[in-house]
Amino acid sequence: MSDVTVAILENSKVNAKYYKLVFDSKELSKKVAPGQFLNAQLTDTLDPFLRRPFSYYRVKASRIEVLYEILGRGTGLLSQMKKGTALRINGPLGLPFTPKAPKGKKRVLIAGGVGVPPLVFLAEQFGTDYLLIGTKSKAEVLPKSELAKVKGKILYSTNDGSFGTKGFVTTLLEEILRKEKTENLFIQTCGPNVMMQAVMKIAEREGIQGEASIDKTMACGVGACLGCMVMTTDGWLPSCTRGPVFDFKHLEYQIR
Amino acid sequence: MKPDLTTKVGRLTFRNPITVASGTFGVKDEYKPYVDYEKLGAVITKTITVRPRAGNPMPRICETAGGMLNAIGLQNKGLQDFLDHKIPYFAKINTPLIVNIAGETTDDFSQMAQALNREKEVVKAIEINLSCPNVEAGGVSGNKKRGKILDVMKAVKDKTDIFAFAKLSPELGDVSEIASDVIQAGADGLSLINTLKGMAVDIHTRGPRIANITGGLSGPAIKPVALRHVYEIKKSFKIPVIASGGIMSAQDALEFLIVGADLLAVGTASFVNPRATLDILDGILQYCQKNNIRHLDELRGTFKANAAASH
Repeated sequence: MSDVTVAILENSKVNAKYYKLVFDSKELSKKVAPGQFLNAQLTDTLDPFLRRPFSYYRVKASRIEVLYEILGRGTGLLSQMKKGTALRINGPLGLPFTPKAPKGKKRVLIAGGVGVPPLVFLAEQFGTDYLLIGTKSKAEVLPKSELAKVKGKILYSTNDGSFGTKGFVTTLLEEILRKEKTENLFIQTCGPNVMMQAVMKIAEREGIQGEASIDKTMACGVGACLGCMVMTTDGWLPSCTRGPVFDFKHLEYQIR
Repeated sequence: MKPDLTTKVGRLTFRNPITVASGTFGVKDEYKPYVDYEKLGAVITKTITVRPRAGNPMPRICETAGGMLNAIGLQNKGLQDFLDHKIPYFAKINTPLIVNIAGETTDDFSQMAQALNREKEVVKAIEINLSCPNVEAGGVSGNKKRGKILDVMKAVKDKTDIFAFAKLSPELGDVSEIASDVIQAGADGLSLINTLKGMAVDIHTRGPRIANITGGLSGPAIKPVALRHVYEIKKSFKIPVIASGGIMSAQDALEFLIVGADLLAVGTASFVNPRATLDILDGILQYCQKNNIRHLDELRGTFKANAAASH
């Protein structure tokens, strides 16, 4: 874990949904595993005041890529920043996804929204049997070039049917359940809470093991403030240090 | 020559005035990757209660202009866990430990004081949290009656001679009046100020931004208020004060020192910059060097009410 100043190398719009931020840092790229995150100070102003957490999207040697959405004022300001702008960033933080599916199991990655980057990272590094990506419409689907290195089958769902299967990402999961032996599957999911809750409900019904990465508003990012708590079988735990990746069996369906 | 920042507080000696505000630095070594704990003047723990507390529902925090609201609800694993797992860690560190305590009843405070009295080698001071805005049973809400605050103060002093700071908040009422009371009841020092109660509304749902509806406001937004209280108390009482409330930079820290603060508790700043404590310490050293201040006491409490602002 290091808190360092980096300079933006690239910061550009990828599509209707995502922006890509690129910078270089030896410290922040050391021993990173998919699912871990960075806590970035975007401005030195008092408003916005706190840092913003971002998943790692891709790490190549010391080059780090972050894929982000504009979700509020902080990310709105970030999207305007030019090459060379300095950012103070703390990382790598948090517990990653289990890198390899348990022996004999087929891996199913289920992603939506800001949950797409860490799962693409996981699929590029360790391979997957399936990567399911759900979006609202075609305009939000990542360009092929961004997914070229994913080792595994990618399936898409869009709410309006403009790309891939019409419906939610769980429609894709149900299709897989019809094809595969459910006891052989291992799910890893990251995305909106409603999506992950729906996935976990199906996993519970079918007896499928898995992990969910849960995003909460954070302050410190190091387990000190107890602001980003997730309710688990062990009570409230900070998602920054005891997550963001949690085992399904430690979570309640109603993510809170 | 390196300026001497040694800070004497009653019978206690600290290598420098920089410490951390309770609840912002964890309970053990959360900031170890960023901060050498042995460079800090003291460490103040997150509030410990006799029994474990689950804490409040989520969301617990929200960002506001120049600060944040929190309603954590004093989540902690309780006194026994602290004694078993946290004290041994601090026993190995050459930095004084100040333990922040809260309770639902006077007896809770008594029990904690008694237990900590057995750990005097490690626990150099106690900070009595009389002013957490976020818990129904303790803190501001439960202790609102001044009589109860005094009972707590006396109960703690009855069980231990460990140096005791009473942590106060303007939420309790007139700070000077309460300060006068707690000093009479045996407080060795004061800790000023705790967070100020505030709220934020989500205009899309029309609901509160934090589940507890109200929470404690911290950060630079409350600094002028904190500074005023430290100034007024140091002017009226000869009592050591831990100052906290929006200390983000050496400039902020120096303002508190000039009005007389003894220790400076850096809080929310650590969330924004995990190295804030040591950066502030560096800034104080630089200021002293630049202004030929050999010992911090040449600066501390030298506020000049009649001096004009430089710009």
